Amino acid sequence: MYQYNEVDQRIVNERVEQFRDQTRRFLAGELPEEEFQVLRLMNGLYIQRQAPMLRVAIPYGLLSSEQLRKLAHIARVYDHGYAHFTTRTNIQYNWPKLEQVPDILAELAEVQMHAIQTSGNCIRNTTTSHFAGIEATEVEDPRPWCEIIRQWSTLHPEFAYLPRKFKIAVTGGPEDRAASQVHDIGLHLVRNDQGEVGFEVLVGGGLGRTPFIGKVIRDFLPKQDLISYLEAILRVYNLKGRRDNKYKARIKILVDAMGADAFRELVEAEWAHIRDSELRLTDAEVERVKGYFAPFAYDAAAADDASLNQHLAEDQDFRVWYERNTREHKAPGYRIVTVSLKPHLGAPGDATDLQMEVVADLANQYSFNEIRVTHDQNLVLGEVKQADLYSVWQTLVEHNLARANIGTLTDMICCPGFDFCSLANAKTLNIADDINAAFDDLDYLYDLGEIRLNMSGCINACGHHHVGHIGILGVDKKGEDWYQITLGGSSREDASLGKVLGKSVAADEVPETLRRILLTYVEQRIEGERFLDTVRRIGMDPFKEKVYAAAA
Amino acid sequence: MPLLLDRQIAENTWQFVEESLPADTGNADLVVPFELLPQLLDQHQGRCGVRVPGELPYEELLPFLERVALIEIEFPIFRDGRGFSLARLLRRAGFTGEVRAVGDVSRDRLGYMERCGFNAWMISDERFSESDLQAFAEISVRYQAGADDPRPIYRQQ
Ligand code: SF4
Repeated sequence: MYQYNEVDQRIVNERVEQFRDQTRRFLAGELPEEEFQVLRLMNGLYIQRQAPMLRVAIPYGLLSSEQLRKLAHIARVYDHGYAHFTTRTNIQYNWPKLEQVPDILAELAEVQMHAIQTSGNCIRNTTTSHFAGIEATEVEDPRPWCEIIRQWSTLHPEFAYLPRKFKIAVTGGPEDRAASQVHDIGLHLVRNDQGEVGFEVLVGGGLGRTPFIGKVIRDFLPKQDLISYLEAILRVYNLKGRRDNKYKARIKILVDAMGADAFRELVEAEWAHIRDSELRLTDAEVERVKGYFAPFAYDAAAADDASLNQHLAEDQDFRVWYERNTREHKAPGYRIVTVSLKPHLGAPGDATDLQMEVVADLANQYSFNEIRVTHDQNLVLGEVKQADLYSVWQTLVEHNLARANIGTLTDMICCPGFDFCSLANAKTLNIADDINAAFDDLDYLYDLGEIRLNMSGCINACGHHHVGHIGILGVDKKGEDWYQITLGGSSREDASLGKVLGKSVAADEVPETLRRILLTYVEQRIEGERFLDTVRRIGMDPFKEKVYAAAA
Repeated sequence: MPLLLDRQIAENTWQFVEESLPADTGNADLVVPFELLPQLLDQHQGRCGVRVPGELPYEELLPFLERVALIEIEFPIFRDGRGFSLARLLRRAGFTGEVRAVGDVSRDRLGYMERCGFNAWMISDERFSESDLQAFAEISVRYQAGADDPRPIYRQQ
C-alpha cells in the first residue's frame, strides 16, 4: 500500500497543529462558533446527540495492521472501546472529547492517517472496490488512481467551500462494488478500441432527498488528464452549484437542472484551458504511485495444499463459512476472506478494540499486513492462503467475526440512526436487531440467496436505502418511528433506485412485512433467480398485495 | 478596518463609492460596483478598482483587466467559496493587479485564498489580530497547482 513520503507526512502533521490552534482559539472564545463548526467538520468532527463524533478517513478503504491497531487503541483510550465503519469506508468514534481531538489526530498522524475532509462541503474520501487489485475481471487496479486523487483533493485551496459535500468513487473493472453511479463523480477504468486504458466519467449521481443515477459525460478520458478534468468539473460546480438551498446544492441538482449535455459543454470549455497545463500527470508520478500497489509475491505452491479439502469435508461449520464468506482470489491457492461485522444482535459495522486487534494480527500473520474496509461495512482479509483458512476461521469464530452471512439479508448496511445521529428521524439499530431475531435461520437465508438490505434513519440516506434490493427508511410520524420500504434498488453496475412499496409500517411490523415480501419472492421466483431480478421481472404489485392485503 | 496586503499590515488608500459618482472624482483611488465601472473608467483620473460578487462570470471582467488596479471579491458569508474560483480565473486570465477579499473575511481561509490568487484582505476590527499573519505559514505543502505556483506536487522540484 501507499507509504507517505516526507511531504505527505508534513501536510498531515501541519494540519494537526493547525486544527489544534483552531480548537484552542475556539475554546478561548476567539473563533466564533459558526466558523469553528465549518472548520471542525472539515476535520471530521461533528457534535452529535450524545457527544462529539469523530470520523477518521480510511483512504479507499485500505489499512495496514499497524493502522488498524492504532484505530483500536484510539477506541480504547479515547472512546468507549468500539467504533463504527461507514459506507465511505471510514471509521467513526462516537464519544471522543472535543479537547482531546487534536491529540487523537496527532496519534493518527503517527501511522499516516488523518480525518481531513471526512465531512464538510469539500471533497471527501475517495472510495473504490474492496476487491481492488485481487479480482481477475479488473481492467486495472484503481487504487493508485485513488491515491493520486487523494493527494489532489487533500487541502485543495479552491474546493474547500463548495456548495455541498462532494464524493468520488473509482472502479477498476466491470464489477461495481463502490456504488459509483450514485456518486457526485464516478470514474470507471475502461479499455477503448485501441486497447488503451482510461476513464469513463459520470457525474451527478447521488442519494439523499433527491436520488439520481449518474450520467456519463465522457466515454473515455486519457489517464494523464485525470486531474485536469476533475479540476474542470469541480470549478464549474463551485461556481454554478446552488448555494441558496442546501437541499438543492449537490452537483446532481445542477446537472439535472441544466441537463448533462449543457453541463458537459461547460466542463469541456473549462477543460480546454487547463488540459495542456502542468496538471497533466507525469508517467514518473503514475509509476511511482503504482509501485506501492504491485501484487505481492504469492507462493506458487499455495494451491498444492490438501488440508483445506480435508477441513471442508470434516467441519460443516467451516464449510458453510468458506462458501459464504470467502471467494476466489486471482492467484491460485489464495482466497479473499470477508470478516463479518454483522453479528447476531450487534450494531452492523461496529467493531470493538479487541476485534480490531484480532483482525490486525490475522492480517499481519496471514494476509500481507493489509485489511480492506468494504462499502457494506465489513472487513476483508484480501489474500489468505487456502492452507491458512482454517486457522483464520477459528480465530474469527472465537471473536464473533465469522457469522456466515455475507451477501445475505442480515449482512445489512445500516446507519447509526437516532441512537447516535442528531439528524435522525427514527432508530435503526433496534430494527436491525428485530430483523436479526426474525431471520436467524441460516438455511432460510441461504435459500433466499443474495439480498442487499439497506437501512437509513432519515432521508439523508447514509445507509443507502434507495439502492438496497430492499430499502428501509426511518420516518417520523407524529413523534413515532415508522419505516418506509422500497424494493428493487441496486448500487452495482446495474444501478437502479428502489420503488416505494406503499404506506410506511410501524416499527414492530417491519419483520412481518419483510417476511411477506420474501414469501412473495419465494413463491414467484423462477429457478436460480435472485430477489432483485424477481422484483424487476414481476414489478411491485404482487409484493404490495401480499404485504397490505391482510391489513385491509 | 485593517488591511493585509502581500502578507503585511498596510494602509488602505482605496475608497469605495457605492452609489452614484460625483462629476469630479479627483485623483483618489476609487473602487465601485461592477455596474459603475464603465462610468468610472470614463471619467476618473486616478486609479480605478471594481468590487464584484463571487458569482460574477469572470468573462465579464475580461475587457477591463488592463484598466483596473484592484479587483475586490465579496464574500457574503464564511462558507461561500465562489470567490476562490473567481480569483483563480482572473489570475489565469493574466490580471496582475491587487485581488482583495472583502466582506466576511477572517483568518482561517487566508492561506487558501492566497493560493487562489488573492494578495489582499480587509478584515473587520473585531476579527482581526496580528497573529492572523501566521495563518499563511500553517500549511507549507502544496499538492495542487495554484495561482501562486502552477506546478502540482508531481512537477515540483
Ligand atoms: S441517514 Fe440520517 S440518521 Fe442515518 S446517519 Fe445519516 S443523517 Fe443520521
